Amino acid sequence: MPMVLLNCDKDIPEREKHIYLKAPDEDTREFLPLSNAPTIPGTLSERGCAFCGAKLVIGGVLKDTIQMIHGPIGCAYDTWHTKRYPTDNGHFNMKYVWSTDMKENHIVFGGEKRLEKSIHEAFDEMPEIKRMIVYTTCPTALIGDDVKAVAKRVMAERPDVDIFTVECPGFSGVSQSKGHHVLNIGWINEKVGTLDAEITSPYTMNFIGDFNIQGDTQLLQTYWDRLGIQVISHFTGNGTYDDLRRMHQAQLNVVNCARSSGYIANELKKQYGIPRLDIDSWGFNYMAEGIRKICAFFGIEERGEQLIAEEYAKWKPQLDWYKERLKGTKMAIWTGGPRLWHWTKSVEDDLGVEVVAMSSKFGHEEDFEKVIARGREGTYYIDDGNELEFFEIIDLVKPDVIFTGPRVGELVKKLHIPYVNGHGYHNGPYMGFEGFVNLARDMYNAVHNPLKGLAGIDIRQPRSGAASNGKKEAA
Amino acid sequence: MATEQLQGKVEQLYDYVQERCLWQFFSRSWDRQENIDGVLNKAADMLVGREPKRETPTDKLHCADAKVMVMDFRERFPWIAQVSAQEVDELMEGLKGRLVDISITKSKNRELHDHLY
Amino acid sequence: MTDCEVAAKPPAEVKVAPKSREGIINPMYDCQPAGAQYAGIGVTDCIPLVHGGQGCSMFVRLLFAQHFKENFDIASTSLHEESAVFGGAKRIEDGVMVLAKRYPNLRVIPIITTCSTEVIGDDIEGTINLCNRALKKEFPEREIFLAPVHTPSFKGSQVTGYSECVKSLVKTIAKKGEPTGKLNLFPGWINPGDVTLLKRYLKEMGVDATLFMDTENFDSPMLPDKSIEIQGRTTVEELRDSANASATVALARYEGASAGEYLKKEFDVPFHLLSTPYGIHNTDEMLRTISELTGKEIPESLVRERGIALDALADLAHMFFANKKVAIYGHPDLVIGLAEFCLEVELEPALLLLGDDQSSKYKKDPRIKALKDKVNFDMEVVLNADLWELERRITSGELKVDLIMGHSKGRYISIYNNIPMVRVGFPTFDRAGLYRKPTLGYQGAMELGEAIANALFAHMEYNKDKEWILNTW
Repeated sequence: MPMVLLNCDKDIPEREKHIYLKAPDEDTREFLPLSNAPTIPGTLSERGCAFCGAKLVIGGVLKDTIQMIHGPIGCAYDTWHTKRYPTDNGHFNMKYVWSTDMKENHIVFGGEKRLEKSIHEAFDEMPEIKRMIVYTTCPTALIGDDVKAVAKRVMAERPDVDIFTVECPGFSGVSQSKGHHVLNIGWINEKVGTLDAEITSPYTMNFIGDFNIQGDTQLLQTYWDRLGIQVISHFTGNGTYDDLRRMHQAQLNVVNCARSSGYIANELKKQYGIPRLDIDSWGFNYMAEGIRKICAFFGIEERGEQLIAEEYAKWKPQLDWYKERLKGTKMAIWTGGPRLWHWTKSVEDDLGVEVVAMSSKFGHEEDFEKVIARGREGTYYIDDGNELEFFEIIDLVKPDVIFTGPRVGELVKKLHIPYVNGHGYHNGPYMGFEGFVNLARDMYNAVHNPLKGLAGIDIRQPRSGAASNGKKEAA
Repeated sequence: MATEQLQGKVEQLYDYVQERCLWQFFSRSWDRQENIDGVLNKAADMLVGREPKRETPTDKLHCADAKVMVMDFRERFPWIAQVSAQEVDELMEGLKGRLVDISITKSKNRELHDHLY
Repeated sequence: MTDCEVAAKPPAEVKVAPKSREGIINPMYDCQPAGAQYAGIGVTDCIPLVHGGQGCSMFVRLLFAQHFKENFDIASTSLHEESAVFGGAKRIEDGVMVLAKRYPNLRVIPIITTCSTEVIGDDIEGTINLCNRALKKEFPEREIFLAPVHTPSFKGSQVTGYSECVKSLVKTIAKKGEPTGKLNLFPGWINPGDVTLLKRYLKEMGVDATLFMDTENFDSPMLPDKSIEIQGRTTVEELRDSANASATVALARYEGASAGEYLKKEFDVPFHLLSTPYGIHNTDEMLRTISELTGKEIPESLVRERGIALDALADLAHMFFANKKVAIYGHPDLVIGLAEFCLEVELEPALLLLGDDQSSKYKKDPRIKALKDKVNFDMEVVLNADLWELERRITSGELKVDLIMGHSKGRYISIYNNIPMVRVGFPTFDRAGLYRKPTLGYQGAMELGEAIANALFAHMEYNKDKEWILNTW
């Protein structure tokens, strides 16, 4: 009975296929949560749409690119000011969003002219910007606007600009994951190989699948600089459009987020023979392992060991201080997908934290293979968890802290459970050695918040002898 | 090595790989097969003191993965220092079998055999 | 501009025109379904079901969470590819049944369409009939209202979407019965802080009224028993009895007033449309109208509150506010109301931005006409505007403003151009607790005035610009 039908799911029994409880001495091959499967309507799922998987997660990170959203205004409005991915050029990517603001007459008569006009306007208004990604949305896909033809016309008219088109309306696929896929495959087929880089180091790589959340990319870049490795492109943290056209020139693809960006790494391997190395960038032990592998690939092991030694000397004492105080903390991870397997073992090994429940919004079965191999027994592994399931799981596992998004964080706050932003972080970066100390600190501050103790007190009741001292209490 | 003893040792290595190694969980069956064979062949070389081939980029990648794994094997499983060359091959073949079984043959991952990425 | 300077220059110019670009750079509003969802969550035991892609509800839930720091329950039919091809009505049926089964207290489900499902052309009304039959069979003892809300994203904006959903809920649930003697109050899209203020005013006047929607609980507590209270407080019974009220007062022309018009047409409930009570005069008018409609006197307490507000604003207006230029953007009722308030305290609303495709309505708005007649400085009203209209005017030097008033989506214009900004409207996610602060009524006018003053003061200090004036203020 390792697949679990929760009480709240008795009317939607198909949910049993999506929830796994890892039991001791069990052959895990027999059980794998069904994932990347259609959402059940009305369940209050946590999933977003394919369009956001392309625009908000990947394309919108780029620091020099207009994100032209061909559709009604909401798709632009909603994918703006919801991410924390700064850039080193003043956060152009977070300050602006562009829309063709489709109206009914464009739905009836077609929106291509509107798109063409909007593209010209955007380039005219921001003359220093020469790169653009155009996205279709549900209605423009349904009416069949030919956005590629429009992009071609504009590029013919404006030889100094380059435009990439992404056609993945919100209804395609079952979650944001489809949008990752469409953007990855489109980019490799249309844009990679169209520019050459200036090679400045004998060691070159692409760093794929990190999005500079609160400066992750910029922190890791200091390591690559110290190792003398030239990063041809970041896919897509703090990245530029043109760097991504040069991905074919790297000797190695280092992949952090295999879910959102594994496709392009696979294609770079298939089409250009560039090997793919998957690493975990969160966690001390993992980060060191990743650096060791990268350096072993290039034959620069000593540099790697030196960097690791320096970083350990600087950050390990702080990590250990937190580990001492976080040991035994019960953590739940309710995020997109990959962070489940990136984090479950790293928080256990590096911080002594036990991950007791994990839910993925858009992970595929591959992600569950990884997380079940790494995760604990007695832990719940949930695909596309919904609100009532979260309540029930909380009752079952009683987590001390939940790493999830701000909205769910507000919900669990009412249950006196602190949350840490598992998407955009509280105070990151969280990647790398320093980053993992930040994560530990944020988790420590969350579980030791004195308000948590105060929240449980009913002032109508007599005073109890053991007043809360703000220290972590047994759940 | 007695079959039972071998099995026990394979199981220890298997548990390590399951928990640590992302290369066994690449997107498609052929990638997984390539990685399992590639990394474990390089590891076998390293464990018996043979210099592994590092000619192609893929060789270099598998060497990098194998190097870290072998380092951990030596640290976690001191018995591995005592294992003979022939036994290393047996161990690695056993481990390959286990990994192929779980991550390819019996994997319930429905995307594993899609011909496109 | 001082009156002295004004006297020497040609008459003030007031320009009201749409922006010249077709596309949008940095929108002011979200699309219709977002507004509909906001109206839907104002009802007790109600979960809106958004018929469209998952992003259409997921991001709106995030937006509400950003603004209110609360989670709201909103469901999706999770439109996938095959529905886009073969129609998605079945997913509404599934969604309704799943919601009804898993949420035993559920009484209302607004079914909110989006651009995709309007283009596909799913028959919402027909599907609702099917659902009603299925619900009756499965739950003979429950009454669950399904309200069709047609909100294609390619029309209007969150403002019209809000109105559409309020109207549909009233249409679906309102029913002729015994007269209640109560007042219907449609306040528009306002914060819990303003709902609390309006309810206090009504209580102090002794007026029995119902707010559509009562969102006071959107500011909800952490309680010892861990209960979760985040839902609207407008009940099915109240919606039903909206048909039996003595009169309807709408405080926002573009946000919910159409429901009042419907109640007048359908049930003969007298309808009164007032200016949104930003500032002293608009509040006077609201209180007087309510007093006239109910026969209840305006109590001493509100006369005092009015006096305290005037007393506080008098300290600020001609010393600090006079001749300062302000740019205002946001919902039309808010922008116009704030402009009226600005004139009361001698601020000069030089640029007003109104978004979406409802320009023809805004052009005819009597309040805009009144503003035109009143101002003695140049004023520009941009219709179908986006935030780039503001940014471009400022960065090009075409317009110099001393203050920006608007929601958080325009924050970077203030930050990067070193212009003080007062956050007001929706959403205001980059300041703490604003949803709790009133902006309507006398207290709201006073608190807004003080927020403006403090923003200007902080700006003087950060820029070391005559900050010493405040030594002796």
